[in-house]
Amino acid sequence: MKITDSVKGASGSFVDLLKQHQGASPNFSVERSSSGKVPEIQATTILAFHFSSGVLVAGDRRATAGNRIMANRVEKVIEIDGRSVLAISGSPAQAIEMARVLDHSFRYYRRSQLDEMSLEGQLRLLAQLLKENLPMAMNGVGGVVPLFITFDPETNGPRIYFYDILGAHFEGTPFAVGGSGSLEVQGILRFLDHWGLPGGLSSLSKKDAIVLSLRLLETASYFDSATGGVQSGDRIYPVIKLVSGDGLETVGEDLLKEILETEVHGV
Amino acid sequence: MFDEPYRWVDAINQRRDYIEEQLKRSSPVVAVSVEEGILLLSFYRRTSKIFEIYDRMAMGAIGHPADIEMIRMAAINTSHVEGFTRSSRDVSMRRLTMFTLSPKLKSSFEDVMSSPLIYRGIFVETGASPREDLFYELDFDGQVKPSKISAVISNGEDLSDRIRKMLPSTVLSGKEALPVLVDACVSGSLDFEEAGMDADGKILDEDLYRRKKELFLSEREPDIQLLDRRTGLMRSLPLPSMP
Repeated sequence: MKITDSVKGASGSFVDLLKQHQGASPNFSVERSSSGKVPEIQATTILAFHFSSGVLVAGDRRATAGNRIMANRVEKVIEIDGRSVLAISGSPAQAIEMARVLDHSFRYYRRSQLDEMSLEGQLRLLAQLLKENLPMAMNGVGGVVPLFITFDPETNGPRIYFYDILGAHFEGTPFAVGGSGSLEVQGILRFLDHWGLPGGLSSLSKKDAIVLSLRLLETASYFDSATGGVQSGDRIYPVIKLVSGDGLETVGEDLLKEILETEVHGV
Repeated sequence: MFDEPYRWVDAINQRRDYIEEQLKRSSPVVAVSVEEGILLLSFYRRTSKIFEIYDRMAMGAIGHPADIEMIRMAAINTSHVEGFTRSSRDVSMRRLTMFTLSPKLKSSFEDVMSSPLIYRGIFVETGASPREDLFYELDFDGQVKPSKISAVISNGEDLSDRIRKMLPSTVLSGKEALPVLVDACVSGSLDFEEAGMDADGKILDEDLYRRKKELFLSEREPDIQLLDRRTGLMRSLPLPSMP
């Protein structure tokens, strides 16, 4: 490659750049397999809701394949470029690869174009990745249904978006959920926002928001075997991140332990 | 031309002279390790010359904007593909400069039938502490010069040496180092005699020096960036108030 070939990346598209380097490109599309079904590893309960000072994003840690628990320490709430969060449900292999592509794409765009990718551009990129993943999803081995949470400089506030398996995306106001344990969580959040809390979810303090998210994940794990509960004996806690104008904050395990003991299990 | 070695050497020498002549219009770029990361500073007339390349890595450059852009994109493309394919920890400035950019610059420089790249750059990488920070000066002919704690590029070795002598000899905080860097960059760029200084850069005529310095600053935009050791990302800093 000559040095003058470097201008090929001038579009700012990291996916296009990867496609120029054979072997480096993520390939989310496969032909339908004829060799029998591969047991799909799945997850999850993920949730995001607005509270008084931003958006809380939470996810359990369990990954399952059929009735087998494959892992109890999976990180399903993933930081993207230090500014956004992708919460993943479905196949971890595909979802984590999508998170890596997104992370590199946002950084690549910022560095190569000397500008941030627009919110619409970010949403479209994730939609494109999901669309390219559709053959895997239809094959039953790679479905991904994520939540994307980012700070929108135009509205000066964080926003929640949820996707379907085809890449369609919608804004979640004031909450969005995903994964096999989301049915219970969705119902509770809807009830609380309308009748359970004066001022709705967005009036919750930071601590109350964390308490609520832990209680929701415990409830989900009670009904859904694919959602991991809190295993405080093994110090396996959900991952909870807060998105606000100040950036991203990961809630520490010590605080989670304290809140779980006093506000979830001890009540 | 290739049948006669003398002609080839002559062409290379002319090419070198031409590039050096083109670089004469450039203002210097300075990079120094500080406690918080690596400070990069330059004053530019038209376009910024300091860029983030990858996590923990940045580049400062002088030369023709189009050529700087080619090297910048080559560095960004290579590091991002490498970081995605393997891990961000596998992307290193040493490999990027010595194994990727240097050979390409050398072959481009020696290809006398193509237009030359007018380029001189500094590549920096933050480590866990200032002692682990890496600095590589990369020249248009592919020469790589590694250094520690600081690096300077300018339109000539004399000017670079002059600026180097003014840089802090110990690792300071960003707040302490920045005025020293600005002073070194500005004072080092001025003609000592015309700006009221002696041959060692000692100020003899305060009033003349102040006027020359104000003129220098009024004709250029400051570009001050901190490559943050903690986040690995680059952020812009304002010009400190000068006495």
